[in-house]
Amino acid sequence: MSGKSTSQQRGWNFEEAAMPFVDALYNTAYRMTRNAQDAEDLVQETYLKAYRYYDKFEEGTNFKAWLFKILKNTFINNYRKKQQAPPQSDFAEIEDAFESRLSSDVSGQMKSPEEEILEDVLDEDVQRALDDLPPDYRMAVLLADLEGFSYKEIADILELPLGTVMSRLYRGRKLLESAMLTYAKEHGYLRSGEPAKMRNNQLREGTKEHK
Amino acid sequence: MNCSKVREIIFLYTDNELGEELLVSVQEHVVLCPQCARRIEYTQRLLKVVRKGCTRTTAPERLRKRILTSLRHPEVEWEG
Repeated sequence: MSGKSTSQQRGWNFEEAAMPFVDALYNTAYRMTRNAQDAEDLVQETYLKAYRYYDKFEEGTNFKAWLFKILKNTFINNYRKKQQAPPQSDFAEIEDAFESRLSSDVSGQMKSPEEEILEDVLDEDVQRALDDLPPDYRMAVLLADLEGFSYKEIADILELPLGTVMSRLYRGRKLLESAMLTYAKEHGYLRSGEPAKMRNNQLREGTKEHK
Repeated sequence: MNCSKVREIIFLYTDNELGEELLVSVQEHVVLCPQCARRIEYTQRLLKVVRKGCTRTTAPERLRKRILTSLRHPEVEWEG
């Protein structure tokens, strides 16, 4: 009897502590899976695992970060499970495409055109650019810019050294910037009546409606 | 502090992750270097655009229900 009420109490405690983070977890899950159903499954599984391991959570440490760590691990496991073919090659290709764009578009020099184009960036450009980011970078950027975690918290969630978090954020945001500006430039061209310049397959794929 | 160092640590600056000593030397540099000041201003705007573009969605109500059901009745298989 007392065993049952203790476990009930544990359930209530968990619910009370964990449920306020469902939107935050869902948002990140949705951006990582890019699919509503997968995002729901991922969050559901995160909660079940968190509940199962609730005893292992150390009081006084960051509970939200702990939940995100479980989400991250579940994402990695499920994602790798789901993909029959190794996803790394795809990521490498995406990364290569980005790298070449990065070196051709954003040469590291500050030019006023970039400042101008930034004004043309639409929310959908940001979302497309985010969706295109290689998952490792996307996760780091989401944790920092969507959830506002500190570098130390991100290092804890991703189980990476601080230096790696910094370089992922740096690369991730630079890639994001490059893609966002490219997308904004395209609809900027269209607005002024010039033909949109398609630079690679990825862009062509994502901008069919502009043709 | 020089311009390339500022470029290297620019996100640490805009994310408020710099230690006191580096923070002060970036601030000192920026006062004298309009290019870096402009770069920082651009970076802050860039991050604002990213944050604004990451529109937040609310978790569907059925997900909340699914989670609560599976927590309260772990023996029940959830749909999907």
